[in-house]
Order: sequence, then C-alpha cells, then structure tokens
Amino acid sequence: MFITVFLLCISGLIALYSASLHVEAPFFKKVIGKQILWMIVGLLAILVVFFAQRKLLFNGALILYWIGIALIIAPYFIGNSVAGANRWIVLGPFHFQPSEFMKIIVIIGIARYLSKNDLVISDFKSLIIPLFLALLPMAIVLKQPDLGTSMIYIILVFPMLIWAGARIYHLFIIIAPVISILTAFNFYSFFIWVLCLIVILYFSKEKIWLAIVLFIFNLSLGFATPVLWNRLKPYQQNRILTLFNVEADPQGSGYQVIQSQIAVGSGGLFGKGIGNGTQTHLKFLPEQHTDFIFSVVGEEYGFIGVGSVLLLFLILTVILISVAFRLRDRFSSLVVIGVTSVLFFHAVINVAMTIGLMPVTGLPLPFLSYGGSFIITCFLMIGLVFNLSMDRHR
Amino acid sequence: MFYSQNNVTLERRNLLILIVLTLFVILIARLYQLQIVQYSRFAGIAEANRIRVISREAPRGIIFDRNGNIIADNKSQYNVNLIPFEVGQNENVYNILSEILKIPEQEIRRRVRKNWRGQFLPARIAEDIDFETLTELEERRLELPGVLFSLEPIRSFPAGANLSQVLGYLREVGKKDLRMIKDYGYRPGDLIGWEGVEHEYESILRGKRGYSFVQVNAFGQEVGEVRNKRSVESKFGNDLYLTIDLGLQQYAEELLNGKKGVIVAMDALNGEILSLVSKPDYSPNLFSGIVRSDVWNSLRNDPDKPLYNRVTQGTYSPGSTFKMVAALASLEETILDPKTSFRCRGSYKLGRRDFKCWKLGGHGRMNLYDAIVNSCNVYFFSLIRKIDIDIWAEYARKFRFGELTNIDMYGESQGLVPDKAFMDEKYGISGWTEGNKLNLVIGQGDLLVTPIQMVRFAGTLATNGKLSTPHLGLKYFDRDNDRFHYFAQSTGDSIDDISTSSWEFIQKAMYDVVNSRTGTGRAAKVRGLDVYGKTGTAQNPHGDPHSWFIGFVKKNEQVIAIAILVEHGGSGGGEAAVIASRLFRYYQKELVPQHFTSRGINRD
Repeated sequence: MFITVFLLCISGLIALYSASLHVEAPFFKKVIGKQILWMIVGLLAILVVFFAQRKLLFNGALILYWIGIALIIAPYFIGNSVAGANRWIVLGPFHFQPSEFMKIIVIIGIARYLSKNDLVISDFKSLIIPLFLALLPMAIVLKQPDLGTSMIYIILVFPMLIWAGARIYHLFIIIAPVISILTAFNFYSFFIWVLCLIVILYFSKEKIWLAIVLFIFNLSLGFATPVLWNRLKPYQQNRILTLFNVEADPQGSGYQVIQSQIAVGSGGLFGKGIGNGTQTHLKFLPEQHTDFIFSVVGEEYGFIGVGSVLLLFLILTVILISVAFRLRDRFSSLVVIGVTSVLFFHAVINVAMTIGLMPVTGLPLPFLSYGGSFIITCFLMIGLVFNLSMDRHR
Repeated sequence: MFYSQNNVTLERRNLLILIVLTLFVILIARLYQLQIVQYSRFAGIAEANRIRVISREAPRGIIFDRNGNIIADNKSQYNVNLIPFEVGQNENVYNILSEILKIPEQEIRRRVRKNWRGQFLPARIAEDIDFETLTELEERRLELPGVLFSLEPIRSFPAGANLSQVLGYLREVGKKDLRMIKDYGYRPGDLIGWEGVEHEYESILRGKRGYSFVQVNAFGQEVGEVRNKRSVESKFGNDLYLTIDLGLQQYAEELLNGKKGVIVAMDALNGEILSLVSKPDYSPNLFSGIVRSDVWNSLRNDPDKPLYNRVTQGTYSPGSTFKMVAALASLEETILDPKTSFRCRGSYKLGRRDFKCWKLGGHGRMNLYDAIVNSCNVYFFSLIRKIDIDIWAEYARKFRFGELTNIDMYGESQGLVPDKAFMDEKYGISGWTEGNKLNLVIGQGDLLVTPIQMVRFAGTLATNGKLSTPHLGLKYFDRDNDRFHYFAQSTGDSIDDISTSSWEFIQKAMYDVVNSRTGTGRAAKVRGLDVYGKTGTAQNPHGDPHSWFIGFVKKNEQVIAIAILVEHGGSGGGEAAVIASRLFRYYQKELVPQHFTSRGINRD
C-alpha cells in the first residue's frame, strides 16, 4: 500500500517538475516545491491520525460530522470568495478547503451509522440516514459551487452500502430516477434506458405492483424533464448548465478537453520525454498542474506512463479492498471502503475527464495533482486506513 | 457494543472488484485508442497546434527638457530571434543565417546560448539589421523555421546636446543582474537604464511589454490569432521632463569643447539643474541600442574617462573659492574685525617655510573685503592662524561639504572636510602643523569637493543660506492617470545661524570680484547684468592648476548659480571666468525667465 502511494507521489512530482520547468521562481515558490512541502505536512498528518483512537472516531462521529458541516458552511459567512467561489477558509497565508476534509468525515459518519448492531440493512428505511448524511454536504458544496467534490460525497455512499449488505435492488431504485432525468434529453438514450428498466424490473422478482409503480414513475419523470426544462427561463437554464460546467473555460466550450486530449494523444507509446511536451509548455492547459496533471503525464511519458499510473491506482484499490475484507470490525472495514471509493472515483473521474470521457467537473487526481488541502486529505485517508488495519484496538 | 462483526460476503467483495476492473478497462481502452490508434493524428495536431507568444516590446518614455524639447526619443530597430526548439538540429538554418547576417555560425550559436530563455522561447541572435538583410531573410523564410524578426524600440537623440553623463545609457540585462531584478519582469537581453537619469528614473521610463498569441504551423508561419487568448498591448513608458534647459546645455557643451572640465548651472532657489556638462563626454548615439563591445571598451579605457561624471563623481581641491568659508567664520565668530588689515608682501612666513600669495609682488594692506576681491592668500593665512580648525570645518559643513548633495544621480562622491579628528587620524596627533591649516584655508590640501557641491555653495551664498537639493528630474507624465507628477523637492533646508549682514558682506565682495577694477574675476563681467563670483586656482600634482569659477546672477526673482571648472586651465580669473561671462551672456539674452515652474506657478 505504501509503496504504491509512494510511487504515485513520485510520478506526480515528476509531472509537476515538468509543468513548472519554465517557471522562474525560487524552488519553494514553484508548484513542485510547494507540493513537496504539502506532502511533508501530509506525512505529519498521517502520524497524527495514526494515534487517533478508533473508539474516539466511533463515538465522536456525529459531533465530528456537525463540526464538518459548520466548516463547509463557514466560507459563505467569512466571505473570502476567491473568483466567486466560496470554497476556502483563509487563515493567514493558508487557504484551506474544508470540503476536502469533509470527505473523511462523511465516510466516518456513514460507517458509524451502518455499523450499528440493531440495523436491519435489508430494510429500505435503513438507507435513508446514510443518504441524508451524504446529501447534506453535497447540497452545501454544490452551492459553493464545486460539482466535482459534491459528487464524490454521494458516490462514496454506494460502495459503502453495497459493502454493508444493502440490497442491490434498493440501490437501483435510488439511482434509477437520476438516470431517467439524464437520459431524457435524447430520445435514443432514453429508449434504451427504458428497455433496461423493464428488463431489470422484470427479473428483480420483487412485488409486481412496486415494479409497476417504479416503472411509471421513471417513465413520467423522463417525459416530464424536457417539458419542464423548456419551461425554464433561459437564465435559469444557464444557471443549471453553469453548475454542471463550473470549471470549463468560459471562452470556448470544451477547449480544455480538446487540448488535453491532443496532449495525451500526441504522447504516443513512449511519450515525448521530460520537459518536451509542446502542449504542456506552450501553456495550452490553464490547470495543467492541478486537474489536468494527467495530460502532462500522458504527453511526456506516453501510454507506458499513464498505463503505469492507472495500474498503480488499480493495485492500490485492490489492496484497499482486500484490507477492508480482512478486517473483522465492521466500522473499520466500512471506513476503509469509503476511503477506497473516494480515492478510486477521484482517479477515474479525473482521468475520464482528461481524456474526454466525461464533462469537466474539476476533480484532482489523488497524489499527483497539486493542491494543499487535497494532498493532506489523501494522506490522512491513507493514515486512517493504516491505523484501522492494525486491528490493535480489539 | 462498539463492535459489530464485519459480515461482508465474498460475493460483495468480488462485485466491487468487478466494478473497479470494468472502469479501469474502459479508461485503458480509451487511452489505447488515443495514444496508440490515433497517435499520428494527435501528434500532427500537436505539432501544428503551437501557440507562439510574441512579445511586443514597449518603448521607453521620452525624455524632454524643461521646455518640452525632446532629448531622448525612440526609433525602431529590427532584431532577429531564433527559437531553439523549432530549429533543433537543423544545420541548414545556421548556414543560411550565417550567410545572410554575415556572422560566423559559431557566433550565432554562442549568442543563442547567451540569450537562452528556454527552448521554446526566442533567443536574440542579431540586432539592428538593415532593411536589405530583412528582405533577404523574409524571402527565405520557408527555409528558416523558428527564425523570427522583432521590431524593437531603441533610443534616438534628436537634440544637438550630448548630455552624456546626465542621460546615462541603456544596457542589456545580464544573467547576473537578472537574479536581483527578476521580480520586476526583466528578461535576459532586455535593456535597462544604467547610470544617469535612465538609471535613476528607470521605473518611470520603462514601458510594459505586451504580448500577442499567434497560432503557428509547423513551418513557423503565423496562422492567425489564438481564439481564447487575448493579446496584451504593450504600454509606453512615462515621459520624463528634466530640469535641463536644452539651449543652455548645448551652448555650455560648446564652451567646453576640447577641454576637460565641468559646467553646472542651477536655479539656486529650487535646485533645478539647468545645465550639467562634464567633458570629455561621448555621443549618446553610441548607446542608442546595445553597445558594441569595441565602442564600450574604447570608452572604458580612455584615460580621460568620458564615462565618468566629473560633476558628481569628481573630487577636486576648490582653491580660493573656498576662502569665503573662512571669511564667514571670521565674521560670525568675530575673530577679526573686518576692518583689521594685514600687509601682503607676496608671502607668509611660518617657521622656516614661506607660504606664497599668488601675486608675487604682494597686495599691500588688505582687510577682509579686499582680501576676497583680490583673493589675497596672505590675509587668509593670517586669519586662519586665529581660527580653530574645527570651527573652520564646522562652517564648511554648514554648507554640507563632505556629504552627498543627494542629487538624483547614482554614484555621487561626498568629498572631504578635514577637521582635527581627521588630521590626528591621518597624520598622528603631532604629525600635522599650522602649515596644513594654511593650505586648507585657501582650498588646498586634504580638502576635497565635487562641482555639484560647489554650485550649491554658490547658490547658498546667493540666497542667504538656502540649501536646495540639486536635481535633474522635473516631472513626469503619468500615463495611467493622465496627469503630470512633479518630483518632490526637499524644501526649507537652510543655514539659519549666519546673520544677514554677513551674507550681504560676502555677496558685496563677490560682486566686486567681478565688477571692481582689481577683482580677480573681472573676465566674468557682463554688461547690463549683475554678476557675482569668486575665482579659484587649484594647484594639483598632475600639471597646470585647475581653473575654478563659482558665481551667480539674480534676475527676475530668479537666482542662477554656476560652477565652472577647467582641468589644468590655469588661473581661475583667466579660463573659467571667461567661460562664466559667456554663459551669463547667453543667459541674459536667451533664457526665458521661468518662475519656479516646478512649483506649479506658470510663466508670465
């Protein structure tokens, strides 16, 4: 686990080194220098977390959760909006983003709830609290606006629910309406979705009246969406569209994505070599050291480079799942799964948007992207897993 | 109660791993498609898709004289640059460049290394190419990928005056300097003001470089503007107005042609320098762009030091011009009744040594007044015997001798006023005698002054003690706010503890230096203008004495002080006083009186 994390950090630093190659500044003012400093802070954070008591986390989960909520609301009131976004709390020279740390807190909160002894997980009602725990911070962060981070809160719930033994059918019921709305804008996608829906509901062996209600609900939702959408005023439509495209270049639609695809594609099998990426160094990508760091790797190290990075993430994920599987304590196990989902989905969504498989949402790549709060959060999560996996609290 | 059993099933674990693997395979497949299948397509796009950042050099601010005549302007020059990455190993490019520019290939490579800013950024290889060369390069452009021309502003000097040391010059920022000033946006090869006002007012004169972003194809040809990057216009530097009067300056430079020496003229009431000449000088056109190393070396190694600003950096013995210090000390400290007289027989005996007066036959009986008018050494020898050296030094320091005038020019010297402590230090407590004092009182010995201190000295004498700070910067035009800013001047500094009667005594004597029949400064007399002055003849070990004249005129509520020094010019009453009269005559005829323009009061 540590070796993979270490290797990921190193590859990130190499890419950052390259990205800051032609920046003239003292070493520790460059992105790479600062990133190394953050990593050192992250290592210290691991130590702190390592000595945290499992019992303390378990009992304090609820208090921690509300503190976290207070912190992510705080930027609205302290009012240090950076470029119109209320994400940061500014403490002297430090800007930190509480929404990053909130990811860990949400994991702990949900794990705490799902490891209650008297919980009947197969009951649909048991899913309401975990969803609420994720939806509340999601709503707050969505307003900041930070679509990427808010998506992470909700996505991490599902692997945890699966792990805890929730019925897949129930999860499907939750996800189905979202898919109905999203597919509704295109006739063919909606048509295929409806077919899938019929097949799944038919084979689900649930009560027939429930299936029919669900089907009709989703169908009408799908039909209603375009109608409702068209009745919205253009500025309202715009507001929603901006929400889903917060990080996109306002001057040209998808310009970044096209450029990052060119960067990755032109890398070929072996890449162009360190510091030689023309896309990288001619400043095509405004956020190449944060959200688009993967394109730097892709351009300069080619398929071999990005393949290795992805493989490292795969190995890390599998190791984490095995750790979670091995643990006998349900709370610890769930926390590890939560951490796994956060890291994995961060990686997948980031890579997917870099190579044009997803719209740009602004999620960094764990251990590689530049960013203080995020790198510390990642290190904290690893420290947490290490702590809980010791099983020494028994 | 805290612990519930982890009851996850193998089935669930495998489900998660399956999801993970699926997503992983999708990503890898997409990467495979991008990087392997479509590689050549994207590589082509990336190659063609280069954005080139073209910097638009900003002209420096124009330098005007006080009346708005242009002293230093800008003109354009074509430079050739090369982008190392795009040229790569293409030997052909170097061949062709060498042929067209007539520079050896090795030299081109050396320049690329010297001006290296990164392999994607243009490095300068030739400057100020002529039009023919430019067309030739343009014709063969297709053979020269990665070679660019840039149009850059350089200095031109339309005025007839040299003003060399006043202006200073522009110099390429070297790699070493860059470390210190990088934060201000300088890049290797940029021009930066060095010495003079170009240096002093660098931050005002310097423009702000603009950028435009063009998309170029693989041949280095511009394809068009880049869609999402707006170009940034370059910003002119602010125009600077000097206190110099160009006409007077031109005339003063002519007066000193072929000589070594100094002319400074200053408005004594506000410190505005009207002309500042230090000869020998050099033509500023030598420095319009980047200085050729042979020109630079010949200027550097010239024994007459044309780069050296004698006005602010040169330290000299002031000679008899300094006698007024002892005279004021005597008047104020009532050391001697001004009516007390001594007989001058041409020399003064101290112990076994004879201290000579300049007039071999002697002046006869002299009181203080006559002694200034006739510049009698013997009187002052007798006087200084009665004055403590520290009192004398204190009076010299009242005029701020021995310290910087804080003129707005870099590298000013502060000169030296010896006092008892200094003499004890230098010669030992018993190593110096009254004889040293006799030298000091007539402005010789260890005493050292700069011409800029001397012009202020003259101005202070003229204005009953006003100590204005000499300065060359008058105002500048602030482009951002569209208005003029006047440079702040120190005001109110003056010598308050000398009585008006003493000032008037000295001024009257200085008037008679020029206007009486026996005065040593008779040659400076101008019909119809009241010229005040004092001559000085400073002995020096290198040859003929230096010829000094300091003085002033008061006209139309304006007080103009001057200091003139001709190195090895002989007696002050000869060389320097003659130049003074010409200068004042010019002033009388040509100079439009301006009432303190810098304080915002308009001309009448």
